[in-house]
Amino acid sequence: MSDRPILTARGVTKRFGGLVALDGVDLDIPRGVVQAIIGPNGSGKTTLLNALSGASHADAGSIQIDGRELFRLKPHRIARLGLARTFQTIRIFNNLSVIENVKVAGACNTPISLFGIVTEDARQKQNEAEIEYRARAALEVVGLGGRANDRAAQLPYAQQRLLEIARALASKPDVLLLDEPAAGMNMTESMKLLGTIADLKTSGITILLVEHNVRLVMGISDRVVVLDFGKKIAEGTPEEVQRNPRVIEAYLGRRHRHA
Amino acid sequence: MKTSRLKTRIALALFAIAVLTIPLAARDGYIIQLLNIAMLNAIVVLGLNFATGWTGQINFGQAAFYGLGAYTTAIATKAGLPWISTPFLAVAVVVAASLVLGLPTLRLRTYYLAMTTIGFGEIVRLIIVHWEPVTGGTSGLRAIPGISLFGFGPQGQIQHYYVLIAVLAVAVLVAVRIRHSALGRAMIATKDSEIAAEQSGVDTTRTKLLAFIIGAIYAGLAGCLYASSIRFISPDSFSGIQAVLLMTMLIVGGMGSIAGCIIGAAALTLLPEALRFLGQWYLVLYGLGVIVVIVLAPGGLASIASTIRLRLAGAR
Repeated sequence: MSDRPILTARGVTKRFGGLVALDGVDLDIPRGVVQAIIGPNGSGKTTLLNALSGASHADAGSIQIDGRELFRLKPHRIARLGLARTFQTIRIFNNLSVIENVKVAGACNTPISLFGIVTEDARQKQNEAEIEYRARAALEVVGLGGRANDRAAQLPYAQQRLLEIARALASKPDVLLLDEPAAGMNMTESMKLLGTIADLKTSGITILLVEHNVRLVMGISDRVVVLDFGKKIAEGTPEEVQRNPRVIEAYLGRRHRHA
Repeated sequence: MKTSRLKTRIALALFAIAVLTIPLAARDGYIIQLLNIAMLNAIVVLGLNFATGWTGQINFGQAAFYGLGAYTTAIATKAGLPWISTPFLAVAVVVAASLVLGLPTLRLRTYYLAMTTIGFGEIVRLIIVHWEPVTGGTSGLRAIPGISLFGFGPQGQIQHYYVLIAVLAVAVLVAVRIRHSALGRAMIATKDSEIAAEQSGVDTTRTKLLAFIIGAIYAGLAGCLYASSIRFISPDSFSGIQAVLLMTMLIVGGMGSIAGCIIGAAALTLLPEALRFLGQWYLVLYGLGVIVVIVLAPGGLASIASTIRLRLAGAR
């Protein structure tokens, strides 16, 4: 373990026409923490996540994972370098089984050989066995081991969210971006999810958690970044952030500052 | 689980026996010829399934690849090249063509491939029609030399039937292996959500290109066998109408289903002949039939069995 942050961002800027969605955001995320990114609706949380993961490239800035530059790389390259993510609106592969969904990501650093596939040679069998092992392990982490052979589309909503997490884990990421993972979950499901996130942290994965529900993240996060209108307005421990007047203003409006 | 696997094996074995004994029962050359064409079409539709059924890229160029394979083979053998060279030549030509088409268009999402392949099909057809000294123009090429490996080759339609059964079996085996590999999963993932596939480490551009090229190879090889087993080719067999027909076979049989590709190709090759007595009414019935399948079984004919099984299980 080094002291160098696992993920750093410098001056990440994204414009949509005249609107500046991200305005020079800097991040330094230490290895092995749960880092929350919060902010009011439209503050640029998902835009930041998309910029980090390459889903929608930033216009300017620098993003590095473990010292390697990610800016403008294609998303699959970023995934292979150790940054995985889930989506705010569920994007599972409906025409694949549960375990096949996870295997897609489990194969991300395994080279494909058409010759090997057609002849089913020893290396191909070995690769498939390793992918299968990674996928099973990831399903066990989120508690979906018993549904491996079901069609992904048949899973109930909350389990589809867990499947996305399992899929992300199967690529063996250093950094896991979770985009509103508790959206649409009930209280029991949310609590279980928090338990899973805590387990992941223990296993050494750095977690970047985007949440709209501030209360949910405060308990689990080590550090919090607050965005408002595409700018980072506060950063620190959950307690520091909650006391910060600029944060209170952003969430509740200006009048509350004097209240 | 085990009994169902055993049942599948028994069903497959019975199917294989039935397929292998057909020529003994139906000694009518015309029926065998039709079945041969159905098998060739099945190989082409299996190829189409890679790009369209699994990867979700609409490809109207499959008939043109079929034609390129057939004309390459016909021209090469008529020029005196040994038959053994023709599968390689056909594959080389279709791979080159699919790279030229696929590289620029498959980076883009949505319907660019559909537009490009429609144009490509038309270009290939026009070249075939107008380059008469080489392609024979609209009247096509006749007396194409047959399959011959070191002097041995199938004689007559029944022997061709068995050759084509073997090739189709290999085509199915390769498709099954690709489906259950990382490449097959990447194809379906790309269709279901391109962005989620990318973020899971799938190079979607490369996956789409591979699906397109593998499909073109299937069509090219089928074209090669078409030319050297039917021994006569003309532009009509590889026109835009044929491209739409191949797409219909895939949809009616069942997008993404290997069994569906074969069922669709067999149904839409044999039915027009069986219903020939209807005359012009055939087209009306054909159109209605396609609509009925799409409305009642959106997963295609191959999905009907599993739908019925689900319904029965639900009723119990």
